[in-house]
Amino acid sequence: MKKKPDVIINTIARLMIPFIQMYALYVMVGTEGAGGGFQGGVVFAASFVLFVTAFGITKGRSRLPESWNTALSSLGLYFYAGIGILCIILSLGVANYLNYGALPLAELIDRAMTRGLMISFVVEVGIAITVMAVFTSIFFDLAWKPEEDKGGEQ
Amino acid sequence: MKPITASAMLLVILLGALFIYVVEDIPAFGDPNSPANKWINLSISVDTTPDVLTGLNDGVVPDILAEKITDRGFPLPRGYKVVEEGGGWNVLIPTGERLYPELQEYYFIKREGDRLWVYRYSVPLRWETKCEEEIGTPNMVTAGLADYRGYDTLGETTVIFTAGVAVILLLRRRGKL
Repeated sequence: MKKKPDVIINTIARLMIPFIQMYALYVMVGTEGAGGGFQGGVVFAASFVLFVTAFGITKGRSRLPESWNTALSSLGLYFYAGIGILCIILSLGVANYLNYGALPLAELIDRAMTRGLMISFVVEVGIAITVMAVFTSIFFDLAWKPEEDKGGEQ
Repeated sequence: MKPITASAMLLVILLGALFIYVVEDIPAFGDPNSPANKWINLSISVDTTPDVLTGLNDGVVPDILAEKITDRGFPLPRGYKVVEEGGGWNVLIPTGERLYPELQEYYFIKREGDRLWVYRYSVPLRWETKCEEEIGTPNMVTAGLADYRGYDTLGETTVIFTAGVAVILLLRRRGKL
């Protein structure tokens, strides 16, 4: 059964989603404010939940295809684990795993600043990507109904 | 009353009593000198004799104290340094970190009356006092989450990823990725 699109819900969702995503980016990036990767990722996933609630699951899947979603859910973890491996490789085996201060960037700028930058732009973003993709994927899997399968993608 | 109900009731009452005891026993919230926040008393003490005091003032932990500390399982590493600080002596030890070679605070020997008590600093002290200098952020939570306890957060992220994979395996039945 197809529901008729509701003008109020669609307009308000269209208005809210960009702001929710902007707020999620504000929460996830940076070390000085409140929040972090987990919270930012969940807020970002909430924007997809709102999109699906307003526009239906097939349209939601066309915005975030299943292949992209699956790839993203491991990409964030690769960011986090990869920066740890990079710390060992780029310091030629001197430093420990996840020792951001040993990256060659610390020779150019301050060591403390390097650690802060790595946390805010790689680690937190990696966590946020994984959390966003996993929560969206769980939501889509739970919300999918078999009868919507035929009218689905493409 | 059935025996199982009575035993469950007893367990609930015992648990409640335990919680009340714990709430009474923990240090006041925000007390900067409580064990969780600053240091723990190791219950090691010696009398203040003149040679102990001269030893400490010369920058050496006296043998009588060092032996007691070693018996407790916290041996003093090589290259430590003793610095006098209000009401006692700070024992600084090298931690062997390549990028941060400076000595770190480890023990505090406190003078109380005619006894000397050994305190050990708890872990969050470095985290609290040095996080702005070492990581360049005033936000202690982020510094702890992603840097001092980075392995922990990596594990948490893996847990969330595993949850996603489990839901995909259980509920996705469309044979198409």
